[in-house]
Amino acid sequence: MAHYDYVEKAVTVSRREFLGMVGVAGAILWTGAYAATDLVQDRNKYIKMRAQGIYKDDVKAKVRQSHHNPGLQDMYKQFAGQPLSPLAEELFHTRYIDRTKLG
Amino acid sequence: MSHPEQELRVLKHSLRSRLFHWSLILGFLPAAITGFMLWLKPGSEEFLNISMKIHIIGAVIFTIATVVYTLFSFDRVVAFFRLIWTWDDRDIGWMLVGGGYPQKMLLGKDVVVPPMDKLNSGQKIFGICLSIGGLLLIVTGWLLYSFIPLAPKAFIYGADLVHMYFGVFLGLFMFVHIFLGIYNWSEFKSMFGNGTQLLSEVEHHNPLYAARKLEPAVHPEADEPIGAASYKTE
Amino acid sequence: MKGFQTNERTSIIEINRKKCKGCDSCKSFCPSAAIQGKYGAIHSINSEQCIFCGQCLINCPFGSISDTVDTVDTVIHQLGNQELTVVATIAPSVRVAIGEEFGLEPGTLATGKLYGALKQAGFKIFDANFAADHTIMEEGSELIAKIRHYLLGEPAEHELGLLPQFTSCCPGWVRYVELYAPQILPNLSSAKSPLMMAGALAKTYGATQIWQVKPENMVVVGIMPCTSKKFEVSRPEFSSAAHYWQQRGSAAHYPDVDTVLTTRDLARLFEKMNIDFNRVEASTDADNPLAQYSGAGTIFGNTGGVMEAALRTAYYVITGQELPLLEYKPVRGLQGLKEADITLKDAKTGQVITLKVAVVHGIKDNLKPVLDQVIAGRSPYHFIEVMNCPGGCVNGGGQPINPMGTSWTGNWKALLPWT
Repeated sequence: MAHYDYVEKAVTVSRREFLGMVGVAGAILWTGAYAATDLVQDRNKYIKMRAQGIYKDDVKAKVRQSHHNPGLQDMYKQFAGQPLSPLAEELFHTRYIDRTKLG
Repeated sequence: MSHPEQELRVLKHSLRSRLFHWSLILGFLPAAITGFMLWLKPGSEEFLNISMKIHIIGAVIFTIATVVYTLFSFDRVVAFFRLIWTWDDRDIGWMLVGGGYPQKMLLGKDVVVPPMDKLNSGQKIFGICLSIGGLLLIVTGWLLYSFIPLAPKAFIYGADLVHMYFGVFLGLFMFVHIFLGIYNWSEFKSMFGNGTQLLSEVEHHNPLYAARKLEPAVHPEADEPIGAASYKTE
Repeated sequence: MKGFQTNERTSIIEINRKKCKGCDSCKSFCPSAAIQGKYGAIHSINSEQCIFCGQCLINCPFGSISDTVDTVDTVIHQLGNQELTVVATIAPSVRVAIGEEFGLEPGTLATGKLYGALKQAGFKIFDANFAADHTIMEEGSELIAKIRHYLLGEPAEHELGLLPQFTSCCPGWVRYVELYAPQILPNLSSAKSPLMMAGALAKTYGATQIWQVKPENMVVVGIMPCTSKKFEVSRPEFSSAAHYWQQRGSAAHYPDVDTVLTTRDLARLFEKMNIDFNRVEASTDADNPLAQYSGAGTIFGNTGGVMEAALRTAYYVITGQELPLLEYKPVRGLQGLKEADITLKDAKTGQVITLKVAVVHGIKDNLKPVLDQVIAGRSPYHFIEVMNCPGGCVNGGGQPINPMGTSWTGNWKALLPWT
């Protein structure tokens, strides 16, 4: 059992001081939470910006469908014939491996 | 008063303050030690994983204790902040002689030291560092724990940098605090015992405190300290 | 090492032991649980499980993960060799991200500058967008053949895989299937990825018709937003061009694509060669047929892009009419799983079919339900696009690292690390 003869005088906090402290603490917490939310919400912004850049490239393209690409049409005419032709199968198609069976 | 003059006792650390200090020992101390482990990464994966778990449990105790103490002992927090941010010529004098500790420890010599309040200037500095740094450690620590895949990398990197530097600094400072706490044995006993100290010792170490802030206890035999734990709003 | 073919690269992404803080960030992005090390301990990557996507790398807050395959100096050396024709195959996503390494905003479309800088460095250009168009023709024709066979009941002219057809452009995804879902390999489109088509085409058609050089004196360099491409080029089956010439009397052996530089690698190459990207003069390469591309080829870099491009062509081939609205919005955006129905009237038979398609990006978070349906044989879809990286190739593991962003496209569940 604590036995003592002297004790520290009670601390007084005026209403004004109390409100001030609560106000400052609240403001710090509020701005902190606001900034953090903003940072988190903007986290994918760079992906969206890059995606927009690519869609811009699509919009300004003269030809917008693969089958209309003139260079590609030439290539099929002069070289591979048509998609899935034997030469196309040989050069442009592949097979896959079941890697679970590889030692 | 029924006691001889030299046995008069002062309630220096109220029960709430002692409970807070004890939870810092349970929370901050293990978190600091494991923090050093996580920084330097000695030992095996298992050891580091357990260190991290202890670090987080310590952080939970530290955080809860700080919040609870601030809410339920608001008067002590206010008194503490008022004290650590009040500086005058005496503090400069105290800092210049290092509180007389180096002289006493190394040369066995007593020098005249300016009178101090409840905390001496060194303790005030520790208080400032711990209150600012501790808050930063709590905030950045929880950010690192819960925001890692979600928050931007630069933000996490910054939080980690702050957490690490303040952690190392406060961790080392804490060992100084522990050493000096043990060195001042009566102070140590008061913090780990019933919170009281002899008036004569208080008058020696904290003369300004003894002269200005003490009043006779109203109910000296009471279980719960009174007065110290209540505060008035005017 | 298990699960690798002879001569394949077995390691690309590594964690620096000294820099790792054990924060588990990498684990929250790893699609194949290849990262070992408990929370708080130093982490390491198990290459046998790794699909080399590099998502951990671009999302490590401490920069402790790196791409260990560095061929920048080799490429600079090859560029200096007059006997070699060094061809750069530039992926769509590189042109909207390379600027970030030189202080431009993310998403700045820098095709002209990129062409200019590459030419200044001594590269010939074979735009991977051309190869993307090419992929649509091959992969789309394959899909159409499957639709005609399985849905319209026509006899098959070729040996066909199964429906739903999965895209095969993403090397991380292909490796993922080979490692973790080999039972759906017949569903994977047999078409090579655009880069691999480009390599095979460059060293055959390109060598004879465009640049008039010997294929063995060509170096095809993939400029990719991707670290997994560094694995893909090392796969032994991708030497079709050499095989093609062997049948025509040549003895030389070489891969279709010699090496891959990521967007970050390319920026380093420009810096090492003292090419100031911001000052370089824009170029178009208009007279090079292999630098021509359609809008459909360029959107390959986005999630949903392959699907959108394929629909533009498949719709045309089946119905004989152009897709009325080219910008097909249901497959755009960062939603984890995007689905769409498109009704087609076969021009030949007049039959009406509803094509159901799905787009998945971010294997880690969004693949499982779709894959499970396919494995269980009750998938409602006919064509499924999968890209490993959240957002598609624009956010690939080889792209510039954006310090203010993360690839996390999921919801707030990340806040509870114990779940």
